Amino acid sequence: MRNKIVKELETTFSNQGDFFIEEELVDKTTIFLMGFKTLVDLPKSKLYIQQIEDSSRSAKALFMNLSNRINVNTEQLIEGILEGNLVIVSLDGKQNAVVNPFIQNLRSSVSEPKNESPIQSSTDAFGDDINTNVGMIRKRLTTTSLCHCSYQVGELEKRKLSMLYIEGRTPNALIEKVEQQLKGIKNDIETIDELNLQFGKRRFSPVSHLFATELPISAIHALKRNKIVLFLDNCPFALVFPNLLWDMLFSINDRNFPFILSFMLRFFRVIGLVATLILPALYVALVSVNPEVFKLDLALFVAKSREGIPLTAFLETIAMVVLVDLILEAIVRLPKSVGPAITMVGGIILGQAMVEAKLVSNLLVIVITAVVIASSSVIGMQNSLYIRLLKYPILILASLFGILGVCTGFIFTIIYLASLTSDDIPYMTFRIKKEGEIK
Amino acid sequence: MTQRIQIGAVFIIIHLSFGYVVYPNLIYMLTKTAHWEVIICQGLLQLILIWIYMKGLNYFPAQNVTDIFLKMGRWAAIIFLTPFAINLIALASLNIRIHTEVIISIFLPRTPYWAILILLFFISVYTALKGLGTILRSAIFIFLFVIPLVVLNIFSSVINFNIHNVTPGLNFPPKFLLDIKFFYLLGFSSFIFLGFITSKTKLIFRQLLAVWVIVTVLFLAIVYIPLFIFGQDTVVTLKNPFLEAMDSIDISWFSFNRQAIFFGVLLVGLVILTNSVLFWLIGTIMQKIYRWNSSNWIIAFSFIALLIALVVPNKSLLEKYFLWSSGAQALFMIIIPLALFIYGFWSNGGVRGHEKQ
Repeated sequence: MRNKIVKELETTFSNQGDFFIEEELVDKTTIFLMGFKTLVDLPKSKLYIQQIEDSSRSAKALFMNLSNRINVNTEQLIEGILEGNLVIVSLDGKQNAVVNPFIQNLRSSVSEPKNESPIQSSTDAFGDDINTNVGMIRKRLTTTSLCHCSYQVGELEKRKLSMLYIEGRTPNALIEKVEQQLKGIKNDIETIDELNLQFGKRRFSPVSHLFATELPISAIHALKRNKIVLFLDNCPFALVFPNLLWDMLFSINDRNFPFILSFMLRFFRVIGLVATLILPALYVALVSVNPEVFKLDLALFVAKSREGIPLTAFLETIAMVVLVDLILEAIVRLPKSVGPAITMVGGIILGQAMVEAKLVSNLLVIVITAVVIASSSVIGMQNSLYIRLLKYPILILASLFGILGVCTGFIFTIIYLASLTSDDIPYMTFRIKKEGEIK
Repeated sequence: MTQRIQIGAVFIIIHLSFGYVVYPNLIYMLTKTAHWEVIICQGLLQLILIWIYMKGLNYFPAQNVTDIFLKMGRWAAIIFLTPFAINLIALASLNIRIHTEVIISIFLPRTPYWAILILLFFISVYTALKGLGTILRSAIFIFLFVIPLVVLNIFSSVINFNIHNVTPGLNFPPKFLLDIKFFYLLGFSSFIFLGFITSKTKLIFRQLLAVWVIVTVLFLAIVYIPLFIFGQDTVVTLKNPFLEAMDSIDISWFSFNRQAIFFGVLLVGLVILTNSVLFWLIGTIMQKIYRWNSSNWIIAFSFIALLIALVVPNKSLLEKYFLWSSGAQALFMIIIPLALFIYGFWSNGGVRGHEKQ
C-alpha cells in the first residue's frame, strides 16, 4: 500500500541501485524511510528515529521533532534525497519530512597539505567538504564582518560555491562584479579553470584570475588583504580572487621568521623567477650570438666546454629544457613507488651520459639544473608552471637576437604581465585598496 | 600616490631615452667649456615651462590637454594638436631609429637594422595599444631594471676620469643662449605628456621638482662622463661619445669584456617605453579630436612611423631630421603651456578652477 508520493519517488529513482524504501512501524502507523544507502547510514538513522519516537506523543509530533523541513512538495523531497538526506513520508502521504541523517563518512578528516609544505606554521589544510572549509575559516577569523554568500551553479549538477569576504575591507564594486559573474554562470563548473574563465577572457593566458591555496592561513591573510576567497564544493582549495604577481613571491608564512630572514626568502624567490625566465636564453645568447662580451679567458672556457658538440646552442638548449620539463611531468604522473626510478634514470642520462656522449655541454647541464631549481622556488604549482612556459618565447628571441633578444623578451614579458587585469584590478598591483580608501 | 611614482618613473625614463643619444653631441657643439651652465639653463627654462603648464592645467581640474583645447573650440584642437601629433610620429620614428643604430653597434653589427626596428616597434606598439595603465605599471619595473644599470655605468666610469679635462669650469657671458641649437636642446625635455594623464591624477609641482632634480643630475652625468674621460677636443669628433666612453672602461675583476652591453640593455628598456608613450599620446589626441578608435590611430600612425624609420638612409641625415623634429617639439613645448595658461587665466578671470567651486 504505497501512496502517490512514495510511488513518484520510486519511479524517479528507479534506475538507482542504492535507493532504498524501508517501511517502519511507528505509533501503530507505518512510515516510509527513503534515501541513498551510499549516503545515509540506515541502522544508525533508524535507531535515532526510534529514540525520538519514544519521546513523541503522536506521529505528527514525531515529524515535527525530527526536522523543521516538514510537509514540503515532491521536488524538494527529490532534492533532499539527492543531497544525501533521509526522507520520511507517512502512510497516507499527507505528512513528510526531510531529516538530517547519520551520514556515511565519505570525507577524509582535516589533513596536512599535499601541494605545499609550510615550515613553522599550522599544518592544517582544506579538505573536500565545503562546509568544513568555510568552518575552518570561521574558526580562525572570529569576526562578524566576515560575510559568506553561497551559490549553486551549473546546468547538470548544482555545484555549491561559496564566496567569502570581509565587509568594509573588500571594495564593494569588486564584490558586486564578482557576484554578477558568479550568478551569470550557465555551464557546469568542473575544474578551477572553468571557474576562472567566468572572470573574463583569458583563454590563452597562462595566468589565472584565481590563486589556489591549501592553507587556511594564506586564505585568511588574503581576506585581510581585501581580497575575495571562493570555495568550490569537493575542491580542497581556497580560490583567492584576484591573483596577484606578489602571491607568487610573498607568503604569509615567511613572516613567521624575523623580518630580515623573510626578506631573504622573498629575495631568493625573485631571483628564482628572473633566473627561470632568462637563464636558458642568456646561455644561448652568450654562447651563440654574443660571445664577445665575455673576457677572453671566460670566452675560451665557454668555447672549450662546447668543443666537439654537433648541435647548435639553440637546439641543444631547447632539447634539454623540453626534456627536463618532461621529467617533471613524468614524476607527477607516476605512482610514488616508481617516481624515484625516473628521477634516477633522468639524473644519470641528463647529468652524465649526455655530456660524455658530447651531445650537450657541461655548462648547459649546470644552467638547466639551476633553472629547474629556480622555477620551483616560487609559491604555488600553477605559478611555477607558468613561468616555465614563459621562458620559451624569451629563448626563441635570444636565439635570433642574442642579448638584445633576452632583454626585449624580458621587457615584453613584464609588459604582458602588466597588461593583465582581473575586474579592473591589475595583476601587478602591490595591494588592493580598502573600501572607501582614496589613494 | 602609486600613480604619481609611476608618472615620475615615466618622466625620468623618457628624459633618459632622449638624453643618451643626441643630447651630449648637441651640448658639446654649443660650448667648449662649462657645459653645466648649458644644462642648468636648459633645465631652469624647462622648469619654468612646467610651472606654467601646471598652472594652466590647474585651471581645469580633472581634464587633460585635449579636453581643454576642445573646450576652446574644435578648430583650436585641430590647429594646435594635429601638428603636434604629426610631429610626434616623426619624433617616435627617428628616436627609435637612432636608438637602433646605437643598439646595432653594440650588440649585432652584422644584423640588418630593419629586423631590430620591427622588433622594437612591435613591442612599443603592443604596449601603447594596451593603454596608459599598462605603460605606467610596466614603467615601474623597467625603471627598477634600468636605474641600477645607469648607476653602474656612472660609477664604473669613474676609474677613467681625468679632472683636467673639464677645466675651466666657468664661462661668462653665456653666449650659447642666443644659439639656435639651444632651442633644439629644449626639445629634449619632454614634459608635455604630463598634461595628457592629469585627468586621473592631480600632479603636485613639488614632487615634479624632485623628479626634475634627478633628471638634471642624470643629464649632467651623461654629458660629463665622456668629458671627464676624453676631454672636449676629442669628444666633438666622436659620433656616440657616451658609447665610446663606456667602451673605454675596463674593470679587471668583472667577467664582462665590454661595459657597453649594459648601456645597450638599458637603451632597449628606455626606447620601448618612450615610444609606447609617444604612440599612446598620438592615439589619445587623435581619438578625441577625430572620433575614431584610438587603437586604429595607433596602428596606422605607427605603420607610418615605421616606414619613415626604414627609409632614412644614413646617420647624419637622421640626426639632422631628429634635430628638426625636436626643434618643432620645443616650439610646441612653449606654445601649448602658454596657450593653456592664457586661456585658463582668461576664461576663469584669474580664479583657479577648484577655488571657484
